[in-house]
Amino acid sequence: MAEPSPEVSFPKGGPGDPRVPPGGGSRRPRILGGDASQRNVWIAVASTVIFFGFLTIVIVRSPGWPEVKQSFFNGQEFKESFPLILRKFVRNIQIFCVAEVMVLAFALFLAVLRSLPGPVFTPLRILSGAYTDLFRGIPTILVIFLLGYGMPALNLQGIPDSDFFWAIFALVLVYSAYVAEVYRAGIQSIHGSQTAAARSLGLSRWQSMRYVILPQAVRRVIPPLLNDFIGLQKDSALVAFLGVTEGFQQATIIQQSDFNFTPFVALALVYIVFTIPQARLVDRMIARDQRRRQAGATL
Amino acid sequence: MRRPLLGLAIVALVAAACAPKSATSAASGSPTAQSCAVDSMNLHTPGTLTIATGNPAYLPWYGGKSVAGSDWKSSSYTGDPHTGQGYESAFAYALAQQMGFTKDQVEWLGIPFGKSFAPGPKDFDFAMQQISITPKRAQAVDFSDGYYDVNQALIADNGSPAIGVTTLAGLKDLKLGAPVGTTSLQVIQDVVQPTVEPAVYPDLDTALKDLKNGQIDGVVVDFPDAFYGYADQIVGQFPPIGGQQEQFGLAFEKGNTLVSCVNQAIAALKSNGTLQQLEDTWLQTDPSVPVFS
Repeated sequence: MAEPSPEVSFPKGGPGDPRVPPGGGSRRPRILGGDASQRNVWIAVASTVIFFGFLTIVIVRSPGWPEVKQSFFNGQEFKESFPLILRKFVRNIQIFCVAEVMVLAFALFLAVLRSLPGPVFTPLRILSGAYTDLFRGIPTILVIFLLGYGMPALNLQGIPDSDFFWAIFALVLVYSAYVAEVYRAGIQSIHGSQTAAARSLGLSRWQSMRYVILPQAVRRVIPPLLNDFIGLQKDSALVAFLGVTEGFQQATIIQQSDFNFTPFVALALVYIVFTIPQARLVDRMIARDQRRRQAGATL
Repeated sequence: MRRPLLGLAIVALVAAACAPKSATSAASGSPTAQSCAVDSMNLHTPGTLTIATGNPAYLPWYGGKSVAGSDWKSSSYTGDPHTGQGYESAFAYALAQQMGFTKDQVEWLGIPFGKSFAPGPKDFDFAMQQISITPKRAQAVDFSDGYYDVNQALIADNGSPAIGVTTLAGLKDLKLGAPVGTTSLQVIQDVVQPTVEPAVYPDLDTALKDLKNGQIDGVVVDFPDAFYGYADQIVGQFPPIGGQQEQFGLAFEKGNTLVSCVNQAIAALKSNGTLQQLEDTWLQTDPSVPVFS
């Protein structure tokens, strides 16, 4: 099914379309070729080398560098701690994978609740709005602490007392509030004419939401969704405060028993290797999305 | 070409702004040549002995009711270092007196544990926080001589499967907990070597909370901590890791010449019986608590 563009009034892709830059659609910045740009490349290289060279010299020649090197960039400590931390990072991966799936579902539910049209649904809209306000307003660490230590203390039958469970539960509560807002922005970005068209075809309110609005909305918000998930992955370190030995807790254990900060550097490295490819993926998706929109009517 | 030059000028400016602070070379002078009079000691604040410890500060190491204006809050589990009550607080004031300070010349600073061994200049003279001396740690800080011989003990609530266990083998399948970075945790890992991964907590408080909630079977603590009603029963004491007696030491910035003066004072307090007396006053013990075999 071709995706109809919301702005139906434009003569799409034609000369009158303001979204198409003059001289055709595919315009790329020229990086190489030509004397001027070649000189620019050299200047870029030179200034980069000089900048980072300066930075390195300033750091390495600082009076505290030998101590910092011993405490933060200790090769021996790194070799000993890295495998341990990596093994415990598996726990983080479990936490955020489970949490992400649950957030996807729960946040969509919240967003749909909040986007329900009609005066009958006002209480549901209020509830959903209050929920997102509440959990976007409380620091994640507080939610983790309150749930993780409060809920098991209730001593209720059927309430799990595993730290692992409450860690995931807290992350899902908090991140669903953010992701619900992302979904909602997506839903609202779909032009009202879409609903009108769907309704005029005889679809019910629910059907037009399910088959017309949501598929378009979700597709549009995938990049910001991924951004929130990178945030969630990083926040999985917070569950250490419940006594779950994941990457950060493992790093802290080594740091405090050896009085050395290198394990934190090792953990930072693990996170970087994990999150940067995702960030690049988001960039590429945004770029692809932009190209597709610029191409506009060719769909 | 004007732009790149401007850019480089900015880089140079930034670099200049980051220039090293006037180097406060801490490691200067040899300890032997150091005179240990209050005026000539290497102190963070001249004329004042600045001691760092944790906040909250726990019994039996720190006790008494908070004094006015203190950052520490006293409760049934915690105390205020300023009071001179509790083993470490009393030891600190005895040590200061031995070194020639008056009570008013002792300042306390609350720090997170990590600050006691972070590299670089410290904003205190030494940290006193039940820090066990280990060779690895001694690479990052200079330790004073030990001022207390500590053992580790297991506490548990009635109904826990840990109750009645007398052997290390009997502890293997239990879920034990300890605060992060403590030798208590090392005892679980190295002495018990459990089949269940130990639970590690940011501090003793949170570990005890999970114990009360029944999420773990027992908590390993410094032996004197076991007498403070944190749990129903003291299950037993652990033999030391690697057969070596564990000791608490004061942690100094590497190369701080103050260590030798402090060591002199500790030696004096040991030989005149003050340390033993403080132990008898502030630290409960119970020789009938069995050692796990």
